[in-house]
Amino acid sequence: MKEQTENIEIVTNTFEKKKVVIQIEHLKKSFNGKSILKDINLNVHKGENVVIFGKSGIGKSVLIKCIVGLIYPDSGLLKVFDQDVAEMNPHELNELRTRVGFIFQGNALYDSMTVRENLEFPLRRNKTIQDPAVIEKLIFESLENVGLVDAIDKMPSELSGGMKKRIGVARTLILKPEIILYDEPTTGLDTLTSREISSLIVEIQQKYKTSSIIISHDLNCAKITSNRMLILHDGVIRAEGTFDELRNSNDEWISSYFKID
Amino acid sequence: MKLNIKKIFGLKTSKTNQNETDPARFKNVENLLNEIGGLSRFTLNFFRELVRQPFEHREMLKQSYNIGLSTLPLIGITAFIMGLVLTLQSRPVMAQFGAESWLPGMVSVSIVREIGPVITALICAGKIGSGIGAELGSMRVTEQIDAMEVSGTNPIKYLVVSRVIATTFMIPILVFYSDAVSFLGSYIAVNLNGFIAFPLFINQAFDSLHYYDLMPATIKTFFFGFAIGLISCYKGYFSENGTEGVGKAANSAVVISSLAIFIIDLIAVQLSEIFHVFTL
Repeated sequence: MKEQTENIEIVTNTFEKKKVVIQIEHLKKSFNGKSILKDINLNVHKGENVVIFGKSGIGKSVLIKCIVGLIYPDSGLLKVFDQDVAEMNPHELNELRTRVGFIFQGNALYDSMTVRENLEFPLRRNKTIQDPAVIEKLIFESLENVGLVDAIDKMPSELSGGMKKRIGVARTLILKPEIILYDEPTTGLDTLTSREISSLIVEIQQKYKTSSIIISHDLNCAKITSNRMLILHDGVIRAEGTFDELRNSNDEWISSYFKID
Repeated sequence: MKLNIKKIFGLKTSKTNQNETDPARFKNVENLLNEIGGLSRFTLNFFRELVRQPFEHREMLKQSYNIGLSTLPLIGITAFIMGLVLTLQSRPVMAQFGAESWLPGMVSVSIVREIGPVITALICAGKIGSGIGAELGSMRVTEQIDAMEVSGTNPIKYLVVSRVIATTFMIPILVFYSDAVSFLGSYIAVNLNGFIAFPLFINQAFDSLHYYDLMPATIKTFFFGFAIGLISCYKGYFSENGTEGVGKAANSAVVISSLAIFIIDLIAVQLSEIFHVFTL
């Protein structure tokens, strides 16, 4: 494979004129002396779905964990809604986290709680709503969005992989976030369920006008969900464009990501 | 067996060149200091979140109920056998000196001052400590703690403060329960080879107990509970390396908590002796 020396930018971004909700400049992060993110520059616009594509273990998840303050970068600028994440106090960070939803790769459902309690948990802690009827209405609305109202009293251990993923999405949606970060949403799912989850991501984008960063190495998911796609390699964003632009690229290195054996 | 202190602390033996540089030389000492530093920071975080609103009353009560109820049968059986065996073992020696009538008093002082609190705390370290270590450890590796954090909930307050408070207040209650069941076991053992009425047995047992037997024994149980809760939460909260890490977290929660119980007991005995001397 040809070694890349410069970043490749193909792009046409229809969202460019919209407001930037996530601004990342020269972000660096290393673990135990090993540099994972070397120089990340990225803007996410309002209502846009950005897919970050790349091999496993190159720091894709680290990048989105930096956005919600789960991991702090070593240097660089990281602004969400024009606020510098590194300079936020715990209260401000909590405020931000109610506006930024995070869907974990392993779903991270609280396994000692029922689906209802999983959805109620962030609601009771972050919103001033204490009326049980209103809470119940929001829970049902959130479950209806993912088509799993029947699972309300089930425990996470009773759910399939796809159902868990949907409940994870419902738990995030209940706080009505403006940005959603998806960490490998289709990993470990069959083709059909992966497609359903990918369609759900697009439905959420259209219904709630959310901006999203979707970490994935699933080509189908990237194709369905992305407005813009980035390829992360060796700690930097090496290529950027729409899915079709990158897939039809003449560059050998880029096209290697789209090869099907 | 001769202890090789240099080996324990990762230092080179005299045969090796002292000037030789070895990066792994102070690894064990570094790890130990890191653990102490980590636990100290964790303790500070605990106290900071303890006084900060909102308070997780419901979770505290739930944890207290779970911890107390789940340990009750085990503590009961162990305490009953402990009282029974202690009395049966002591009886022949007491009989040799014609002091069988002192048996209830001797047993009550032994149980209330030392055996009851320490054995109960050790059982709790095994049962509760491993449970907390494994639960928080698995929450960590399945990203549930991260999920809690990104949903705007402080996991230290919700998971750690509630559990540490629960253990701190439930262990003393369990110790009282354990002491009572031990008395019952002892009463049955005394009656196996003779007869003593229950009110008389209780009267003799409580006659031998003084304020300076009860107070230090009760106070130290709060520290036992605090140590079990804090250490188990710390090991679980920072567990890593997947399921293997969860096992290690549960294991070290029990080992370190048990060690802490003996150290606290040693300090408590010394302090109560000093306190006793000053009050005489």
